[in-house]
Amino acid sequence: MVTKVKGAKELQEEVISKGLCTFCGACSGSCPYLVSYKGRMVLMDNCNLSEGQCYQYCPRTFTDMDALSQEVFGTPYDDKQMGTYKEILIARSTKEGVRGRAQYGGAVSTLMSLAIKEGLIDKAILTRVNSDKVPEPFLASSENEVMQCAGSSYMACPVIERFNKIPKEENFNVGIVATPCQGLAIRKMKLQPPHNRFPIDNLKLVIGLFCTWALANDQFQRFLLETLNLPLVKKFDIPPPPANTFDAYTASGKISISLNQVRKFTMPTCAYCLDMTSEFADVSVGSVEGIEGWNTVVVRTKVGAELIALAKEKGELETASLPAANLAHLKEAALIKKRRGLGEIIKRTGDQKNLLYLGLSQQVADKLLK
Amino acid sequence: MPDIDIDAPGTTALLMGNEAIARGALEAGVGFAAAYPGTPSSEILPTIVDVAKKRGIYAEWSTNEIVALEAATAASLAGVRAMSSMKQNGTQVALDFLGNLAQRGVGAGLVLVTVDDPGAHNSSNEQDTRHVAKWLDIPMLEPGDFQEAKDMTKWAFDLSEEVDIICMVRAVSKISHTRGNVKLGELSTRKYKASFPYTGGRPRMWGIAHDIQHKKLALAREKYEISPFNKYVGPEKPELLIITSGAAWLYTQEVVRTMGLEKRVGILKLGTIWPLPEKLVTDALDKSLQVLFVEEIDPFIEGSVMELAASQATGKPQHTFYGKRSGHINAYGELSPDDVIKALNKIMGLSYQARDTAYLKKVEAIPREYAINRGGALCPGCPHRASFWNIRTALKLDGRGGFATGDIGCYTQGLLPGGFSVVKTLYCMGGSAGIATGLGKLGQFGFTQPVLAVCGDSTFFHATIPAVINGIFNNSNFTLVVLDNTATAMTGFQPHPGTGRTALGEPARAIKIEDVCRSLGVPVEVCDPFNFKDTTNTLLKMMAIDNGVRVIVMKRECELIRGRRDAPPFTVTVDPDVCLGDDCGCDRLCTRIFLCPGLRFNKQTGKSEIDPILCTGCGVCVDICPQGAIKREAK
Amino acid sequence: MTTKKLKKDPLNLIIIGVAGQGNVLISQLVCNALANEGYLVTFGQTYSSNQRGGSVNNYVRVSKEIQCSPLVPSGAADVILGMEPLDTLRMLAQFGNPKVMTIVNPRPIDVAGRVSDYPDLEKLMETIKGLSGKTLVINATAEAEKLGDARMANMILTGALVGTGILPLDEKSIAPFIQERFPNDFDINMAAFSKGIELYQAAK
Repeated sequence: MVTKVKGAKELQEEVISKGLCTFCGACSGSCPYLVSYKGRMVLMDNCNLSEGQCYQYCPRTFTDMDALSQEVFGTPYDDKQMGTYKEILIARSTKEGVRGRAQYGGAVSTLMSLAIKEGLIDKAILTRVNSDKVPEPFLASSENEVMQCAGSSYMACPVIERFNKIPKEENFNVGIVATPCQGLAIRKMKLQPPHNRFPIDNLKLVIGLFCTWALANDQFQRFLLETLNLPLVKKFDIPPPPANTFDAYTASGKISISLNQVRKFTMPTCAYCLDMTSEFADVSVGSVEGIEGWNTVVVRTKVGAELIALAKEKGELETASLPAANLAHLKEAALIKKRRGLGEIIKRTGDQKNLLYLGLSQQVADKLLK
Repeated sequence: MPDIDIDAPGTTALLMGNEAIARGALEAGVGFAAAYPGTPSSEILPTIVDVAKKRGIYAEWSTNEIVALEAATAASLAGVRAMSSMKQNGTQVALDFLGNLAQRGVGAGLVLVTVDDPGAHNSSNEQDTRHVAKWLDIPMLEPGDFQEAKDMTKWAFDLSEEVDIICMVRAVSKISHTRGNVKLGELSTRKYKASFPYTGGRPRMWGIAHDIQHKKLALAREKYEISPFNKYVGPEKPELLIITSGAAWLYTQEVVRTMGLEKRVGILKLGTIWPLPEKLVTDALDKSLQVLFVEEIDPFIEGSVMELAASQATGKPQHTFYGKRSGHINAYGELSPDDVIKALNKIMGLSYQARDTAYLKKVEAIPREYAINRGGALCPGCPHRASFWNIRTALKLDGRGGFATGDIGCYTQGLLPGGFSVVKTLYCMGGSAGIATGLGKLGQFGFTQPVLAVCGDSTFFHATIPAVINGIFNNSNFTLVVLDNTATAMTGFQPHPGTGRTALGEPARAIKIEDVCRSLGVPVEVCDPFNFKDTTNTLLKMMAIDNGVRVIVMKRECELIRGRRDAPPFTVTVDPDVCLGDDCGCDRLCTRIFLCPGLRFNKQTGKSEIDPILCTGCGVCVDICPQGAIKREAK
Repeated sequence: MTTKKLKKDPLNLIIIGVAGQGNVLISQLVCNALANEGYLVTFGQTYSSNQRGGSVNNYVRVSKEIQCSPLVPSGAADVILGMEPLDTLRMLAQFGNPKVMTIVNPRPIDVAGRVSDYPDLEKLMETIKGLSGKTLVINATAEAEKLGDARMANMILTGALVGTGILPLDEKSIAPFIQERFPNDFDINMAAFSKGIELYQAAK
């Protein structure tokens, strides 16, 4: 399907002011007009360009899912619950220190550090929080810096903006940790590379995160500031159901906040997302229900497979197979998100044929809605 | 221009109307002059200041026009001839005092010069001050040329003493700012010994004196009937009688001559315009039944003469009156000779045009893109541009639909793209804080937009203080942003209470605006607008407080002052290898949005560049280029 | 006193420039010299935000009979002296006529505060010539830069204007006013003035 690429004005009208913005950062950092600030994308002035990269790469403007899927996997986009992958396993860092610092098994931090150590990439774009837990994009250049970014904040962070800000004269390779919407934006960028910018081809590695929803960056942080003594908090966790809590870990123990209180801060746009497992990453990583201290790892591309193999070879990662029950449950959860997302989109547009940003074939849409 | 107090009576000088007014005051022996800057009146006081010390005159820039008039009146009460000068809005400011003053007597001659700005070329509104004379029962004179500007001002002091009332002289931009021939008179050698004679119930300060005031006006009228400031030129029985005054007289006189109508059209030029010299006007009305009024701005004389004619109408043939009511002359805006030509063509069935149709066709054929008008912009290097840039950034980031209220000065341009259109309201001096204090109380009606009241330093002393105190007293929610460039810049850098010197050049204690505000017990921050990061963050911080009055003083000297004194701090260049021109995707941010005249887009090279003649080397634009193509090097 | 006479009564002269070019100086010198010759001179101005990038229109009216108004009626200019081409054209559009003498300094000044591009200079000059009775192109800015200061363009143009002889002035009648205005820089200003006369001779 041919779409008209539009500009910043349309991005503001169709996405930002409609509450659809996921705060992924694909539109900001490239020009003086779109700026991220306290959880919002702000259009500073009207840009008169009729075709903008901001509109082009936004994961909430028309996205041809087939084109992306063909580009990455060589197959059309279908109704597979977790997208296309080569292998699925569970893994954890062999170092206890890493596991203590990082989320669950520390797989993301391990893989990213390894990639830098082995020269696959020179730097990694991650999310780092300050002592008040305000998340910010961060360009890490060493293992140490990667570890500083370990742990999830559960808040949206515009990491792609940090990629956009890299001066075009630079010539290093980067990796990035991305949520599903960010993964989508990155694939759109790879499909039609940005003009006059740091080469998108230098982005060699995308580690995707499992994601049900993200919390609003500024509002949730202020809630935390009122509720907890933030400098003392070392890690956050949302344990799998039936826990229904948002946990904060300090040196002295765990503080649990009811998830009902926290759900208030989920970004409304997450309701329209179909991707729970970062279907367009090289490797996607999440928790393992019922098995503490391990990550579920979904290997999707050749790059991803090579990295996992390297991690095993270098003794950085311990792996095992994902129990069948877990896999079934994971697929079910992913499918629920797809169905719910699609349902919400149709409810919003009031038209089965208008799927907002989703360029899905009618068959796939029908299959999912059955 | 020779010195304004040159002692050469009978010689001719080319004086601007404002200079002529000042000269008239000197010839009348003025001892005390007080004013507030306001285009088109601003030059009157400095002209007197130039010779004040030499001639033993006291002259001051007051904080506002009502104070200026009060100060001048004090001198008059103590026996010293005094004058106050202001623009139309200034007279508005002084009205409460003026209305009371008109019902009292004076001591020595007291003259108020008010200069209107037809067409509002340099004003926020257009208004005709002549109505004030009729409304408040004050004698008023209107000069028709530069000679009269001098002579009327001089006479006004005498008239004021003879009639015992304040007298007004009303000029317009085209008289005040135009130079013409003025034959000089003798300078006064008056000396004063000031004292306030308050015994015997004089001067009378209490009780309605309106009836006495009317008697004074009748006395003035008697003098008007024989005044040389009114004259008739033309045939005894003209086909058309034109009644005119002020600058309109010059257009009328010239056009009648150009169109060759001197034998058919008569002109009654009035100089003593209120009270109307009724006998004189009645005599003129007897000359012709066709009457055209040409005046600026309102149908003031037109209305008054029609009133007079109506009161005498019984048994007389009816006149046909042409003017603003009939649509022959615009009832708004500034007049030009073309307007008089058009009116005469219509009334007399003529078709005079200065150039032939063939030429007019050539003019129409000029391509549209040649008709670019040079608009105003903030000067290159102006700190207000930086202040507005900070405000624009902060308002956008804040995201609650905030805006700025505006006030009078160079920074009025905050209304325009050159000021990033952050200012959304504009009224009068002090209006920004006044409107803000009202907006800041609308929270109970669901109002959530942050309000930034923007005013200048001179404006702060003139009128903002009462509104700010109102805001504090009534707990209104807004941020006052004072753009302190240590100057009354728009009108010509006149000193004010913050600048550290008086009109006469004496050192004055410079009153710091931030100190005044701190004494009011509210949060006050002082920023340098050239420091984008700090200033924008301070704005965001203050807006986030969202309660009560807060003050930010953005302090940086006006570039025109700094530039006259110091060399440019930086050499600023655009690196053509880094500038991507239209390829940048920034859509010409520097020349389309930032709009500093020092930056321009070169069509040939397709890149931005610095205009070396206009750029003042302030270096602020370096921070706005997303490619970092703008470079600065300290000199 | 000059022996030159006023060729037309009133004589309407428009001197136009962009703020900062110094056309007011030209007007002041010419007006003072003319008043000294006993003429009734009216020198009016209109400006668009004159300090801040706008145009400054000077209207100089000379008569033996009446004190003229500050504005030249439409189509009634006798001489248009333009320090900048786009502004010169603007004046011609409003005040020009088949007989007008146009003296123009062909040095474009970009319109501050806009992105729209300056028109093609050659075409602009052709249009100016088409609307004038006689056109004199005086490269005042270029010559002033040769003299060492671009701002002397206005003195050069003053010389050219006086050189045309259209005003009842000559070098002798205006020199005292140049002296009065530039007591310490008389020589260099007179050099610029003379240059202007020279340029007129070459251009006529």
